[in-house]
Amino acid sequence: MSRLEAAVPASPGEAQGQPAAPVARMAVAVLSLLGVFIAGYLTLYKLGYLGVIQCGSGGCETVQASKYAYFLGLPVAMWGIGAYSALFVVALLGVQPRWANARWVAVGLFGMAAVGVAFSAYLTYIEAAVIHAWCRWCVASAVLITLIFLLTIPGLRRAR
Amino acid sequence: MTRKTAPRGRSSLTPFYAVIGVVALAGVAFLVFQLFGKEQPVTQPVEVVMDQARLNRVQGISVGRADAPVVIYEFADFQCPGCGQFASLVAPLIKERLVGSGKVRYVYYDFPLIQIHPNAFLASRAGRCANEQGKFWEFHDIIYGQQPNWSSERDPSAQFVRYAAQAGADAGKFESCLRSDRFAREVSESMQLGQSLGVQGTPTLIVNGRRLGSTPSYSELERMVDEAIAGGAAAAPPAGDTAAANPGESAAP
Repeated sequence: MSRLEAAVPASPGEAQGQPAAPVARMAVAVLSLLGVFIAGYLTLYKLGYLGVIQCGSGGCETVQASKYAYFLGLPVAMWGIGAYSALFVVALLGVQPRWANARWVAVGLFGMAAVGVAFSAYLTYIEAAVIHAWCRWCVASAVLITLIFLLTIPGLRRAR
Repeated sequence: MTRKTAPRGRSSLTPFYAVIGVVALAGVAFLVFQLFGKEQPVTQPVEVVMDQARLNRVQGISVGRADAPVVIYEFADFQCPGCGQFASLVAPLIKERLVGSGKVRYVYYDFPLIQIHPNAFLASRAGRCANEQGKFWEFHDIIYGQQPNWSSERDPSAQFVRYAAQAGADAGKFESCLRSDRFAREVSESMQLGQSLGVQGTPTLIVNGRRLGSTPSYSELERMVDEAIAGGAAAAPPAGDTAAANPGESAAP
């Protein structure tokens, strides 16, 4: 059991043979839900439903106006909604005692988060090296997906 | 056994569900506020003095009858996504319904946000180069439509020449205009005019001398125009005579 999970007191379910809901996975669910809203906000802006984006600088506009704000014909933020939603749903299932130790949950979360981190790293590189502008919401999303990725590692060990 | 453990399992997850619920509520509230909570500034426009001396400093690019009862000034930046949305969603309706019915004269002024949009000044000059050939509004629609494709380029000049050709302008003349310093003074003075009128962001609209605090929807704009007309000529600022005072101001189709 990882240190994060050790911090969770054994639930009555675990005492009776059912696994406790891992705190790390709960955190993944909460962070993923936050990610859904960040991606949702950026998508609403990109689709023209928000006149102005709350950014503090012009970086968000610059990044969102660039051609890199699209991926396979859809706004990148829209892909973010899909990815964070998938992470949220699987994490929510993964906190249920029935699936707490399920390998598919652990591998699924780890795999999705790994793809997310890689894509986010690519976008961060584009912001720094190509567009030369920083979108704070995009940076927040990059931090979120990195945290989510780290938090999926204990579950992966546990499911072995 | 199952019937006993299930309720216990649920209770151990209750704080987690509570956190999820709080985050969900906060997130939805944030999005709803962003979508619907910023209408107030539109209803509280600020009166600005549209005196002739200010307007004579630089000519806008206008469409519509010179004696239209309502004048809408737009200060915009071709690289600004909000302006792009306004150009694709609201401006066509203004031109078709309000300008087409003779109610409105619509005047475009450059307000490139050069600190954050490195290509905006060049784009504004490009717009005026297209205007020189009577193709401003065609170029306006194309450059906004293509905004994602040139915004992050180091030098979008070649793209602008292509857009001008698509708009029906003579590409050679347009390119020589763009490669020169032509209209740099006009764009700079347009920016200064905007600043003197309190313009801080884009797009900013001034409807019969009333500067709007945020970008209105078409229906809000139409309502303001109808109210201004119903309120009589008293609502109209001297700007209504701008075209006559500025013979160089283009009345593009």
